[in-house]
Amino acid sequence: MNIRIWGTRGSYPVARAEMMRYGGNTTCVEVRVGDTCILLDAGSGLRLLGESLMQEPDPPDHLQLLITHTHWDHILGFPFFAPIYSPRTALSIYGLQRTQSTLRTTIDNALSDPLLPIGLDSLSASLDFFEINHDVSFELGPDVYITSARTNHPYRALGYRIESPTGILTFVPDTGPFHTILFGDEFLVWKGKPPHLHAGQLRTLERMRRAMINLAAGSDWLLYDSQFTEAQYAQFPHWGHGTPGQAMEIAAAAGVRELLLFHHDPHRTDVEIDAITAVQQALAPPGLRVRAAYEGMVLYREEQP
Amino acid sequence: MRVQFWGVRGAVPTPSIEYLRYGGNTCCTAVSGAQGELVVLDAGTGFCQLGDALVSGPFGQGQGEMVLLLSHTHLDHILGFPFPGMIHCPGNLFHIYGPDSTRGSLTAVCNGLLSPAYSPVYSLENISARQAFHTINTQPFQAGGLTIRAWPFPHGEHMSIWAYRITEGDHSLVYITDVRYTSEQIRTDAIALFADADLLIHSAPYMRDESVQNHSHCCVEDAIDLAQAAGVRSLMLFHHAPGRTDDQIDTLLAHYRTLLAQQQSPLHLEAAREGPVIEV
Ligand SMILES: [Zn+2]
Ligand SMILES: [Zn+2]
Ligand SMILES: [Zn+2]
Repeated sequence: MNIRIWGTRGSYPVARAEMMRYGGNTTCVEVRVGDTCILLDAGSGLRLLGESLMQEPDPPDHLQLLITHTHWDHILGFPFFAPIYSPRTALSIYGLQRTQSTLRTTIDNALSDPLLPIGLDSLSASLDFFEINHDVSFELGPDVYITSARTNHPYRALGYRIESPTGILTFVPDTGPFHTILFGDEFLVWKGKPPHLHAGQLRTLERMRRAMINLAAGSDWLLYDSQFTEAQYAQFPHWGHGTPGQAMEIAAAAGVRELLLFHHDPHRTDVEIDAITAVQQALAPPGLRVRAAYEGMVLYREEQP
Repeated sequence: MRVQFWGVRGAVPTPSIEYLRYGGNTCCTAVSGAQGELVVLDAGTGFCQLGDALVSGPFGQGQGEMVLLLSHTHLDHILGFPFPGMIHCPGNLFHIYGPDSTRGSLTAVCNGLLSPAYSPVYSLENISARQAFHTINTQPFQAGGLTIRAWPFPHGEHMSIWAYRITEGDHSLVYITDVRYTSEQIRTDAIALFADADLLIHSAPYMRDESVQNHSHCCVEDAIDLAQAAGVRSLMLFHHAPGRTDDQIDTLLAHYRTLLAQQQSPLHLEAAREGPVIEV
């Protein structure tokens, strides 16, 4: 399993000099296992990934895009992904099944007038949409298995585990912690303090927390929402993001080898991310490595001696 | 008037090191008047950077007021709107002008942008700042001491954009982006709107001889020809193509400046860049 990170930022892309080390593009990760080429999310980093794919002498013809959810920061790169304009490309797109709209319609509307002048029908690539639920597992390619889980995020989102004999990656870019608020499909009216959670909601949160730990269990790498500082979380728990400390709790409980802080706040400078990472490194239990994900980061399992 | 660019890139943000001198955030330009009026042109991701800068003033206390003029609702011109803290701060007031589209009114389009599939904000009603939406038309209107006049132009086959001329006393600037000049009449309209402007901010993502086929945008040559015909003093190329690096913009600018010098044209040519404040 070879991984390359093309976008680490959350909410919206930021072009500022003091953020270029960790990067200003929104979430996108490339995962290669043998001939299987998986793209995690279609944030603005996908544009650069597309350019890189087009320059490969023998680029993969079949691409598999797993979308956690369709917030703009996770789909913005799609219309600027060069392979969708090539008839050589076959693209399978996976995302959450919803009653409100099909995945295809949601992506099509994002690409159509009056937001963009493109639309799915004008694309040359052949596209297939696969709507999946949380808590499902399936084989995506030879020896490549995907599992999904529900994250605690407005309008619900997915986290993904990719497992192969050469590595396990778990990808959870957007989630709040599994307490304080339970996000569903309805807008949560925030009145300055968390709404009362009844027993059923508390049980649901606990089930989601356990499912998240199972999803990440034994991962080589866990990319996890670390957008907020503790102070931001206290003020904005209703936006559905978490802190590095909350990411660490899940990583430690799941026995992850390396936690990669991810979905950086659009205001966070490189120097601030350095400092936040150092704090978590000092707190990490033995055997858990912590780093902050940066644009251009490459991950693969080191050969065991 | 003072003009400051917060986003100059077209299509999609380009947050990479070789784009930062001109800037990699999408369209957003702030114009301030002598009496403290604030008029903002488009709300691409540069709008988030502007919001961060404004938070230390009245917008941080819920006492800010701005006029936001939207050229059209393509993502690179509105994506930044829902994010800045100033939008979620009760008391701030946003007068928003822009076109309705064939797919719905301006508010319907903004609600679509914020709908739960795409945004945790869900809808305009969850935005705490006061918003007054106005469908743009060609009647001049005032923002304090600034007079604003708008005019529609084509952008591809199905879409229009609105250009804005802002006048304070003897000085005028024109903002026009994502235009494609499809007829002589439209060129005549442009020359009338641009006439004798001190500053023309004009999208020009392509050069005429570039192989890129584009049906939605004009080229640098169009902008220069019309600016010269209208007697514009200074032309600011804007909405840089996402593939254009800083060095390439430098080269492009030098190329056209040489041509203008050979023609002994009085037109001053610049490329829009995030940061510096320009006096008009
Ligand atoms: Zn996100
Ligand atoms: Zn999200
Ligand atoms: Zn446009």
